[in-house]
Amino acid sequence: MTSISFRGIRKTFGSTVALEALDLELQPGELVSLLGPSGCGKTTALRIAAGFEIPDNGIVSLGDNDITRTSAHRRNMGMVFQSYSLFPNLTVAQNVEFGLRNRKVEKVKRNSRVGEMLELVQLSDLGKRYPHQLSGGQQQRVALARALAVQPEVLLLDEPLSALDAKVRATLRDEIRRIQTELKTTTLFVTHDQDEALAISDRIGVMSNGRLEQLGTPEDVYLRPASPFVARFVGSINELPNVNGSGQILVRPEDVTISVDENELTMRGTVTRVTFQGPVTIISVRVDVVDQLINVHAASGSVHTEVGDRVSVAVAPGRGIIEAA
Amino acid sequence: MGNSHNLPPETEGAVAQAAVPSLVPKRVQTNRARPNMAWIGLVPFFAFLTLFLFIPAFSVFSQAVRGADGKFTLGPLREGISGQNLEAFKFSIKFSAGAAFVGVLFGTLLAYAAVITKRPKWLRSLIASFSGVAANMGGLTLAFAFVSLLGRQGVLTKILAALGWDLYSGNFGLGEIPGLITVYSYFNIPLMVLVTIPAIDGLRSSWREACANLGGTTWTYWRRIGLPVLAPSIMGGFLLLFTNSFSAFATARVLTDNSKIVPLRIGFFLGGDLSVGEDSIGYSLAAWMIIVMAVCMWLYWILRRRAEKWQS
Amino acid sequence: MTRFAFQNVGVFDLSWSKAFDKWTFGIVTKPFEDQYFTDSLYLSFKIAIGTAALTLGLLIPTAIWVHLRVPKARVLVEFMTVLPYVIPAIALVAGIVVIKPHARWFLNSDLSLIPFYTVLALPFTYRAIDSGLRAIELRTLVDASRNLGAGWMRTMSKVIVPNLRSAIISATFLTVAVALGEFTIANVLLKQTFPPFINEYRMREPRAGYALAVLSLLFTIFIFGLLSVALRSPSTKSHQNSPKSRELS
Repeated sequence: MTSISFRGIRKTFGSTVALEALDLELQPGELVSLLGPSGCGKTTALRIAAGFEIPDNGIVSLGDNDITRTSAHRRNMGMVFQSYSLFPNLTVAQNVEFGLRNRKVEKVKRNSRVGEMLELVQLSDLGKRYPHQLSGGQQQRVALARALAVQPEVLLLDEPLSALDAKVRATLRDEIRRIQTELKTTTLFVTHDQDEALAISDRIGVMSNGRLEQLGTPEDVYLRPASPFVARFVGSINELPNVNGSGQILVRPEDVTISVDENELTMRGTVTRVTFQGPVTIISVRVDVVDQLINVHAASGSVHTEVGDRVSVAVAPGRGIIEAA
Repeated sequence: MGNSHNLPPETEGAVAQAAVPSLVPKRVQTNRARPNMAWIGLVPFFAFLTLFLFIPAFSVFSQAVRGADGKFTLGPLREGISGQNLEAFKFSIKFSAGAAFVGVLFGTLLAYAAVITKRPKWLRSLIASFSGVAANMGGLTLAFAFVSLLGRQGVLTKILAALGWDLYSGNFGLGEIPGLITVYSYFNIPLMVLVTIPAIDGLRSSWREACANLGGTTWTYWRRIGLPVLAPSIMGGFLLLFTNSFSAFATARVLTDNSKIVPLRIGFFLGGDLSVGEDSIGYSLAAWMIIVMAVCMWLYWILRRRAEKWQS
Repeated sequence: MTRFAFQNVGVFDLSWSKAFDKWTFGIVTKPFEDQYFTDSLYLSFKIAIGTAALTLGLLIPTAIWVHLRVPKARVLVEFMTVLPYVIPAIALVAGIVVIKPHARWFLNSDLSLIPFYTVLALPFTYRAIDSGLRAIELRTLVDASRNLGAGWMRTMSKVIVPNLRSAIISATFLTVAVALGEFTIANVLLKQTFPPFINEYRMREPRAGYALAVLSLLFTIFIFGLLSVALRSPSTKSHQNSPKSRELS
């Protein structure tokens, strides 16, 4: 269990700034996700951690050691790539033992370790198969086993689930978390899928345009977004005019109260659609004052409205984030 | 016309995605009778090949088993690979293998250079297009051009002599083995480049990175992953160059009259005095040549399938 | 006749050595004045174009047919396109010699070279077209086109062929290269195409002949420089945004 930290990391590619000045520290054993749209710098950060890119400025440390300039093959980190990273000419078992062979581990120990790893990812019978004979999900499990076989100090995952089917994604996601907690490996997980990040992370770093917008627990990031970007990127968001000042309020659908009464703190609007979704009902309201459509999530049964009804909506006290005009 | 048979210029892009043999047809044929009917659409193609490829080829074989009396006999076929003829085959095979080896070596290196050189960006497509040209240029013109440049009185020879390097001081001669191999390389190397670029393209960067991540050096990568994955393609390329060199006629004819080169030998037999039975030998040589080529292409076919499996 | 054909190609003879001592510019222009120069070049081009036309006309429908209607034939067809490698030019020529007496009426025409050249070029022209078809979603495009009311001819001309542009250009250029440079078959059939002309001319006027060979080599290189530019232009990379709806309106 080791910590890994980025201090003042800056990286440009030609005229594009991929990372402005990244400061991030992962505590030993925690799983931190870097979440953001493509081009935000999350993959660059990961590749810098792995040693495939050298930052222009800043320091990457593993524990107390500065590894900024250490070459990739000496870093003792495990990495799982997005897809197609298994060596096609080697069997599953040979893939998994690859790192062990490079470290000159002797055969007996290698074999038992490979067996352990395959059991960990529940693929014990497939040792002699070749990658092209496996499904996408199986391939990624092997990739995970391969990365963990060498007991890396840090595990790096580059959108490992993006290329998989939805169903496989969910299962594998939970497995990765289970294995990571079991082994207590410090893990950096890059993804653009917020559900993934929210589900398995100890902390999430939301990134945009080379900057870390917010670093916090999933609850922090969701319930208390630090910036309009985070509010918009994670979960869904409504935009309402700020009646108490200028600009807009960004508020989550479940943080909007709806009622038929009217008072000076609320806005009037007309219901345009009611969608029943089991525990939650989505009520779409066209707000008069800005002629904008917002979605309200209400516990089913708590509010009875129909299309065409006139209602009042308001931001629940203390919720929402203000975005300057 | 030595290098008229050139493999598909596998021009940029399309081939790496190309032939994946296990593509399953997207529609399941529910009607049993239909698949049979649809084959009719291929009749023009098959008919064309029959007329202009199979019939001439068949004729070669039918003439090769025809004795002086016109009756069926295996005599000419047996003679086609005995004595001098056998020597010729052995020589041609060794020679073609040598030429192929040179082509594979330089072609692979050049292909690799083309792929990894990211700047300037146009360099790679320049190399690819140029290779397409060179691999398809007429063997005759090529040979003539070589003679005019590097022949005993060639322009380049004279320039080099003026600079102090006498090309012909030793055993060098365009008609000699090293010279022939040099000329052959001018269509072999580009052909290898064309065939190898897609293969090198198919080496995913994630393999390289995963290898490094797992503690492997560059040498480890090439030794355990890069070269093994490329091996079928390289061997396939070798076979291709081999068949190309083996069957080269016009180029060889311009440069030498060495009768140990099988295509030339065929030319001699079929063009000489048509005395009794002699032309059967010519056909028998041609027939054996076809057999050699068939074996090579069969091996090539197998290797291609293997290469595709790994690079999908 | 056969014997003459095969013995036609002379071998470089040392007695020409002295002739190379003087090179003048006149040597380069001399071949152009020869009476057979334009004729042979013209014939070669005619045959080249004919070969390209036959190649495209035979292979595009066939490749499409295989993709759409008879996927099971794919392996067989691919195998057959590799066969010309097994039967190289010299062997093909031997076969032609056998057939000659029986097909004189056909082989007498200059254009009889066309189908043979198509065969020679088959391995790579088929591959080029096949790759081009694979790179586009053929089935989807065709289904969409048919669904919007276009018949087969329209689908072919407005949807499929435009998207195959770079494959077609590739195949055409290379077919032309083969046709312009091929010697063995032209020689045995005694056709006066360009390569036999160069060969024969070289024996009459050695210096000029060699100069001509170099020239035509440079010319081929130049043409292919054009090819690489043509293949790089944005209009040929139209796979991603197939303007199908526009084409059909």
